[in-house]
Amino acid sequence: MNKLTGRWAQSLIVAMLLAVPASAQDEETLKKDLTSVIALHGKPCGQVVGVKVLADNDYAASCEDGNKYHVYLNAEGRVMVDAQK
Amino acid sequence: MKPAAPAPAAPTPSAPPPTKKPATPLPPKSAPPATPAREAGDKTASSAAKTPGPAPAPLDLKELKQELKDTKAIGIFSKITLKNQMDDLLGRMRKYHQGQPNPPLTDLRRSYELLVMKLLSLVQDDDKKLASDIAASREAIWALLADPKKFATLDVS
Repeated sequence: MNKLTGRWAQSLIVAMLLAVPASAQDEETLKKDLTSVIALHGKPCGQVVGVKVLADNDYAASCEDGNKYHVYLNAEGRVMVDAQK
Repeated sequence: MKPAAPAPAAPTPSAPPPTKKPATPLPPKSAPPATPAREAGDKTASSAAKTPGPAPAPLDLKELKQELKDTKAIGIFSKITLKNQMDDLLGRMRKYHQGQPNPPLTDLRRSYELLVMKLLSLVQDDDKKLASDIAASREAIWALLADPKKFATLDVS
């Protein structure tokens, strides 16, 4: 019984160790994507350094140069980038 | 008795124009001087002498479209943004072909080149094959867009 509990605990720790980098990687991927999107719209930013998820396909992005943008998919299927103060 | 000199082994780099061969895409580098005579049965050397440039870029729009959809080098939002911008350009091209002269073709060409540059800059590090396919198809795609008849037949959904 003790062995079984130990194995469960081990599996849980391994799962947690794998899960944390995965979500961190997701965030990095999202930041990279938003960085590209902002650049594609020709807006100043540099790199996106912070992202806040507002809703599905709706983000608040903070750039390394201090700019902030609301990046979202509108009803017509267009990606919009609005500067925020 | 027979002074006729035998023709050289035809190392002419360019291929005959009308043969539609969706061969493997060429790399974008315009430098490869001469490919060794791979298809040496070509006897149209006289016309080939006039076109010393690189072989015409192969174009498979469907495959290119699929590659763009599948690539992991571009994030989903960037893909949508690029599609939005491509759709905008196609809309302007359509208006141009319908007779609206306002953005002249040179401006449209500039927009197209800019879009291709954006695309290349996004994929060139993480998806070299796609980058080279895009670069190789660049002129051929523009030829499709700029020709009103070919443009009308494009499936741009």
